[in-house]
Amino acid sequence: MLDICIFVTSVLFFPARRKLKVCQTRASFWESIRSGFLKNNTTQVIEPPSTNQEEEEPLPEEFVLVEKTLADGAIEQIIFSSGGDVDVYDLQALCDKVGWPRRPLSKLSAALKNSYMVATLHSLRKSPGEERNEQKKLIGMARATSDHAFNATIWDVLVDPSYQGQGLGKALVEKTIRALLQRDIGNITLFADSQVVEFYRNLGFEPDPEGIKGMFWHPRY
Amino acid sequence: MLLRGIVSAPLPSTLSLKASARPSQNASLSFSISDQELESRGFSLRRSIADLNLDHLNSVFVAVGFPKRDTEKIRVALENTESVQWVEYRKTQRPVAFARATGDGVFNAIIWDVVVDPSFQGIGLGKAVMERLLEELLGKGITNIGLYSEPRVLGFYRPLGFVADPDGIRGMVYSRKRNNKF
Repeated sequence: MLDICIFVTSVLFFPARRKLKVCQTRASFWESIRSGFLKNNTTQVIEPPSTNQEEEEPLPEEFVLVEKTLADGAIEQIIFSSGGDVDVYDLQALCDKVGWPRRPLSKLSAALKNSYMVATLHSLRKSPGEERNEQKKLIGMARATSDHAFNATIWDVLVDPSYQGQGLGKALVEKTIRALLQRDIGNITLFADSQVVEFYRNLGFEPDPEGIKGMFWHPRY
Repeated sequence: MLLRGIVSAPLPSTLSLKASARPSQNASLSFSISDQELESRGFSLRRSIADLNLDHLNSVFVAVGFPKRDTEKIRVALENTESVQWVEYRKTQRPVAFARATGDGVFNAIIWDVVVDPSFQGIGLGKAVMERLLEELLGKGITNIGLYSEPRVLGFYRPLGFVADPDGIRGMVYSRKRNNKF
């Protein structure tokens, strides 16, 4: 049984009640996808690693990130979307799963509406012979606020614990960055809990560039 | 009210300002320098971008060392900014202090572009815009207010109640150079 490190892709600055135990996975993105191969699983990675040339191609709003055939013959696709179509009840359920304190639905809804970009991962499961019955489930989300011109800040990065350890968090953030860059947002920022600083460093983020420090107003620990 | 007074260390959580606390009727009395005081010195406090000359604003940005940015892009940025606070020097009708905050309107806000014209620094205008911007954000119930501070102005933000790297949280910026993207 492969011992999989669970990491929480959380950048939301939140009161201390939310503290979670994490361990860092140091696998590169593609190694971690391969490490998702378990027993009789067949995983076909559809989305190739981004190369510099491919960065220039426009990112479709929605595409299949990973497709795998499960032991029972069912096909599961992980779909990335930057279209922001999130059911707020699904989101609350996902936040519950990762152990975040509850936030009022109306506020969650407003926060999503006021975000410049909402990126999601959905799992789409099709059973063999039952193509009509597809099960779609929200398994990851990241959102960014922005002034639409210069700066964007990424918040609320989360992946369903049962889908962690497969490189999906990395893919989610990587594609979100790419979508922001394509909209010509030059300054992409975030605030990272100490346990996930390395995770974001591996994705191209630098802490305290030129000594610039992140500060918060009267943070409640 | 919390905004007045020098705070050299973060308040213990039992004393932190509740987001729902509304400023009193005479809110301006709670600021380090009141609105009236500023008015009497020839400065007007403004919140709308309607009368803000963006070329003049841009020249203040350049004067403090920001890279020169396209005025039309500044306009887009301001139109998509939740809160703006600026000070106009009535004699010249030019902006001399400025700060803005972006966010999702309910949970988080980030303060950007805090500037004071070098000829007007040291008299409390930076603090004035910051205090009022904070009051506006807190009034909306937004308590998660962050910013990115250059090392030499950490001492400006601390007395206003800002803490660097609270609980080990680090501000991070995506670097295209690290990823061979120019």
